[in-house]
Amino acid sequence: MTRYSSLTDAELVRACRAGDSDAWNELVERYSRYVYAIAVRGFRLSDDDAEDVFQDVFTRIYLRLDSLRDDSALRPWIAQLTRRRCLDALASKGRETPADDELTQEETADLTDVEEAFAVREALTGLSDMCQEMLDRFFAQDQSYRTIGEELDIPSGTIASRIARCLGRLREQLEGRNGADEGSRG
Amino acid sequence: MVARCSTDWEDAPGVAAQAIAVSERAVALAQSDGRAWDAALLALRDAEATETRGDAKRDFALERKLEAAAAAPLEIASLAADIAALAAVAGENCEGTYRADAAAAAALAAGGAAAAAHLVRVNLGIRAADPRLTHALASEQAARDVADRLGDAAR
Repeated sequence: MTRYSSLTDAELVRACRAGDSDAWNELVERYSRYVYAIAVRGFRLSDDDAEDVFQDVFTRIYLRLDSLRDDSALRPWIAQLTRRRCLDALASKGRETPADDELTQEETADLTDVEEAFAVREALTGLSDMCQEMLDRFFAQDQSYRTIGEELDIPSGTIASRIARCLGRLREQLEGRNGADEGSRG
Repeated sequence: MVARCSTDWEDAPGVAAQAIAVSERAVALAQSDGRAWDAALLALRDAEATETRGDAKRDFALERKLEAAAAAPLEIASLAADIAALAAVAGENCEGTYRADAAAAAALAAGGAAAAAHLVRVNLGIRAADPRLTHALASEQAARDVADRLGDAAR
């Protein structure tokens, strides 16, 4: 973990604007999977087209970062840039280019999944290392309580309760984030 | 259900989320178990049909199929122990009305663990000291202990 990975989006944007190349690397690292997921899962682009979108979106971000009015709104801004660029990619291939509100239910659901997954990923970084480790092992790696207990040297009988408490903290992080989002919109 | 209905219990949503995760895992494992057993059964029938003895390559392939058929029940036994552990947390913290339901979940998990451990033993035809069987039996025992404890408390 670098010192940049703990920065908020707004702090990261300010560092990027100041010409800090490490901050830029962190921004790309933080949002590369997000951009790619919107292109591939939300818009069903091929890997090649998604790669083009990826390059173009990050070029635009780099060139237009000064135009971002609210530094904390980096993610929605990147999402908007990516969606527009995906629509351009579909149009250039002669495929029908639906407006955002004309996406199929499945595509909309996939975009929502991407948004939610990313929000959860962001919120996870606000938890302790132990919580992140346990949640990852249980929910992402499908490890049993016994395995988690053995590998983290924790009594296996306490794992379920610990995971429940970590999920509670994760929920607080997400609710705080959503509250902040709503506040910035208002 | 026990966690979802226990609205005054702070950790209930986290326990409910884990219950959903393990139930989804159980469905996937049950399907995987069925596929592995079908493949093993097919290999066994082929071996019987060819009636050749001492075919090392075929015997090895058959053994691999049977090992695969034991892997899923081994995971099911482990998962059943987790379900029982989760039921224990629920049973100890839920609203009193639902304590018997937690005990029932643990009893079902213990039954599943016992069935899975039995399948591990039968599919592998293994010795008692085999670590896979030891693991499966430990899972069965862990689930049984919880079921007994919650069952006693719910009476």
